[in-house]
Amino acid sequence: MKEFEKHSEISTGENKIVAISTPIGRGAISVVRMSGCGVIDIAKTMFKPFPAEAGMLKLGKLDAKHFSDQAMCVYFVAPKSYTGEDMVEFQVHGGFSVADGVLKSCIQNGCRLAERGEFTKRAYLNGKMNLAGVEGIMDVIDAESISAVENGYKMLTGRLDDKINNLQDSLTDLLAQIEVALDYPEEDLEYITKDKVFQTINKVLKEITALSDTASKGRIIKNGVDIAIVGKTNVGKSSLLNALVGYDRAIVTDIEGTTRDTLSESYVYNDVKFNFIDTAGLRKTDDVVENIGIERTLQAAERADVILLVFDGGSIPKEYEEIKNNPKTVSIYNKADLVKHNQKDGISVSAKTGENVENLKQAIYDKIKADNVSNNDVLITNARHIDCLSRASQSLTAALDDKDNTLDCISLQIRESWQALGEITGTTASEDIVNRIFEKFCVGK
Amino acid sequence: MHNNKRYKMTMMKKEETNDKNFIYDVIVVGAGHAGCEAGLASARLGKKTLVLATNLDTVGYLACNPSVGGTAKGNIVKEIDALGGEMGINTDKTLIQLRMLNRGKGPAVHCPRAQVDKYKYHSQMKKTLEGTANLYLRQAEAAEVLHNDKQVLGVKTAQGLEYFANAVILATGVYLNSRIIVGEWTNDVGPNGFSNAKHLTDSLVEMGFEVRRFKTGTPARIHARSVDFDKMTPQPGDKDMAPFSYVHKSVNENQYDCHLTYTVQETHDVIRSNIDRAPLFSGSIKGTGPRYCPSIEDKVTRFADKDRHQIFLEREGLDTDEIYVQGMSSSMPAEIQYKIYKSIPGLERVEIMRDAYAIEYDCIDPTQLYPTLMYKNLDGLFCAGQINGTSGYEEAAGQGLVAGINASLYLDKKEMVVLERSNSYIGVLIDDLTTKGTNEPYRMMTSRAEYRLLLRQDNADTRLTEIGRKVGLVDDNRYEIYLKKKKEIEEINEILSTICKPKEFEKLFRDKGEVIPNNALSYKDMLRRHNVNIFDLQKYFGILTEFSKQALEQAETDVKYEGYIQKEKEQIEQFNKMEQRKLPPDVDYNNIGGLRIEARQKLNKIKPQNLGQASRISGVSPADVTVLIVWLAQQKKEK
Repeated sequence: MKEFEKHSEISTGENKIVAISTPIGRGAISVVRMSGCGVIDIAKTMFKPFPAEAGMLKLGKLDAKHFSDQAMCVYFVAPKSYTGEDMVEFQVHGGFSVADGVLKSCIQNGCRLAERGEFTKRAYLNGKMNLAGVEGIMDVIDAESISAVENGYKMLTGRLDDKINNLQDSLTDLLAQIEVALDYPEEDLEYITKDKVFQTINKVLKEITALSDTASKGRIIKNGVDIAIVGKTNVGKSSLLNALVGYDRAIVTDIEGTTRDTLSESYVYNDVKFNFIDTAGLRKTDDVVENIGIERTLQAAERADVILLVFDGGSIPKEYEEIKNNPKTVSIYNKADLVKHNQKDGISVSAKTGENVENLKQAIYDKIKADNVSNNDVLITNARHIDCLSRASQSLTAALDDKDNTLDCISLQIRESWQALGEITGTTASEDIVNRIFEKFCVGK
Repeated sequence: MHNNKRYKMTMMKKEETNDKNFIYDVIVVGAGHAGCEAGLASARLGKKTLVLATNLDTVGYLACNPSVGGTAKGNIVKEIDALGGEMGINTDKTLIQLRMLNRGKGPAVHCPRAQVDKYKYHSQMKKTLEGTANLYLRQAEAAEVLHNDKQVLGVKTAQGLEYFANAVILATGVYLNSRIIVGEWTNDVGPNGFSNAKHLTDSLVEMGFEVRRFKTGTPARIHARSVDFDKMTPQPGDKDMAPFSYVHKSVNENQYDCHLTYTVQETHDVIRSNIDRAPLFSGSIKGTGPRYCPSIEDKVTRFADKDRHQIFLEREGLDTDEIYVQGMSSSMPAEIQYKIYKSIPGLERVEIMRDAYAIEYDCIDPTQLYPTLMYKNLDGLFCAGQINGTSGYEEAAGQGLVAGINASLYLDKKEMVVLERSNSYIGVLIDDLTTKGTNEPYRMMTSRAEYRLLLRQDNADTRLTEIGRKVGLVDDNRYEIYLKKKKEIEEINEILSTICKPKEFEKLFRDKGEVIPNNALSYKDMLRRHNVNIFDLQKYFGILTEFSKQALEQAETDVKYEGYIQKEKEQIEQFNKMEQRKLPPDVDYNNIGGLRIEARQKLNKIKPQNLGQASRISGVSPADVTVLIVWLAQQKKEK
């Protein structure tokens, strides 16, 4: 056993990892897991009241970065857990956004995003799992690229590599200019000035930021678009969801307020995955459970990429004006089989007969394409990549912080940034820099 | 290997001979910078050591520039010294100028460089070898390595003598089948016309080494009286420099100025109009040359837009008028060389005494060695220096020292020393060589080190002297000096923690233009300010006066760069986790499922010692490393 403790050092160390462990956009709940020494302390700051003992599932309030929500929490103490380390699981409401928010909060509190298959790897290395062999692990490691192929993600990755390579190239150039000054201090060269160094850093930093900003679009390619179905109670939101996905998913009754929680379901249309989020209807009520649901509806609408605002034949209530004017909203006039709609600002459908439902899908698709992926931008689709970019940008920012710093220290920060970018493309720095020095500069006795 | 016959014959002879003059513990082939360190280390560790050289006038010979140290190389010299090697001591004894390069660019890249008297350097080093117990210096050309299927047995000379030893260190420098080239004229000799080694390459090939051909070069030597120094810029040395060796208190540092001049348009015109006669371009040189020491024709051709190239004139010694013309290495025909040199301002009357030349030589693929520098296919055979594809005296000496130490440890059946990337440039050097190999003569640069702020020239003793002590190379005197400095630094740090009120440091801060805070500060806090140095603290507060300059400067750097140093230390901690995961030496990676084919081949070739080294092999991906981690875990579990 002692041997294994030694092993877990390498896979874990002080590394606390976190990941969303349920498939994105499916089911009523999502599970966010953390593993590693110290995760229980992190969880205690996020979840209250914290379960009294290990293994006990407890309902409580989870504070994430931008919201708080009801959730369940359970923790396990090493070695009695899946990975053999301290672990915490949060069970949160389904759909991407909630789980994503929790994930980000965990990262903010000191976790890093788990590599693909890392929980399993840790479990294995800690002697918790009896895998048939190495191949199993390899399958897990390969899983990322398999799903990537499915999503047409590979092509995008290629473009991303180009982009990262360009950034690295700028940094390599910069490093070569700094390093030639350090390694060949007595040559007849125009050595780079610190001002120029800072200028270049600023330029690269801007590009990294721009790339990071594509992350939300990239997520759409990878995880699909979140589409909130919003409307007054009993306008047929659940029926519409069923019609859109093609089978009964939501409970449909005539009783107002049947859908008390947000439900989500995915449907792939052309090359885009739609994650429909059915929400509780908006109406004033004293029912506590339903009120929570309504609050959640508004949050879901806010976080969604597209809002389907559903009306039936009746008048349009004032409280919907704001949502209606939201640019990401598509207005839908349901029950076309019963009522003739005249509004020109939306699509008239009948969830019941299926009339115009295909056109609606196309309309949503067109809207997403127009808003998000019509250009040839490189999109960041992978949370690990986001993490790398953020570290790359942090190092460069730190380099800019102290203008009096000597070149050896500035070089250290730039290398760190280079390295973080290299984790995306799988490259290492030193040989590149040395080669660049001799390409660019005439040095040597 | 087909040496059963030789094996029997050799064993017979060894039994027959009981003449002690033919039986040694260690034989070192070559007495250049690698050979000298190897021989001295082995002899000082109590091993009866034979050092062979084709010519005893080449012992410690500075075949190229009369200078030791420089960027990264200066750090290596300090490391050699901290481990108990000779190069630093010999440099201190024979130097005629000392400079600290990169002042103002940060402590990580401060590098000392000395101009030395090359003749004194040689004679001083030779005398040291001669005066060392257990060391036997012998002029002879090694022709063949004697061995059986498993291990090395000795060396046979071209003159027909057989010497026996269970450890052999090959430090042949650039002498293997070497050929010098001056235009269309070539000569099968070593540097400066010394005879080369004609037979040993065959023996290397027979033992399974992959032999390659590398190339390097050197400029002309000219007569001092033919130089107009007043047309050039003098380059004096620095004052108050610390000696290279930690055991020396001071050094006679500033006896001579170098001189700086530049090529002009005419120089470039002469080169361009005669470029067809340059062997580098006509193809008559086949060896791979270093980008680090380009010839002048190479520079003018590759960097055509540069209108001048810098030239340093360095005196070869105090007892000679010969001057080394740094920056003007060439393999052009002699008459063209003369025209080229003559075109340079200050050299109009130039008297060339020795022509510039290129030299080609045989060397081996260093990935065939373990990081201990022992050959993977034959126990007891070590290689060090330029035979491993490096360039430079310092790189050679560093390897020689490690090979000498390890030959001794090997004979004692003790664990051999592997220096780390995280504790020395020598570690970076040997790891690069044995993990990645090199396609050109390898020169050390500070940019090759990941942990540059820790691998400083001022703290080599802190990093390595304990290792040298454990091995047995660090004597009591050196160890006491080291312990004293260590204690000094501890005491300095204690004093630096003292807190002062604003009133007390007000004057210092005002004088230095630093913003005066309202709260109390420790001396350490003050030292973190850019404009305050540790000697200011001495001056303003009357503290720290009893400590040595070296200890003060090291303590100061540790404070001023604390954040960065801490960051590197954390990185090293991560790095070491992989380094500590040993991989068994006898694994057949073909049998590990999940590894990609390329990774299997590379891993089988390099036979990495640990996961860290495995991860640095080109062609081994992070996924392959994961497979190895899992495989290792599995192995342990099965046990």
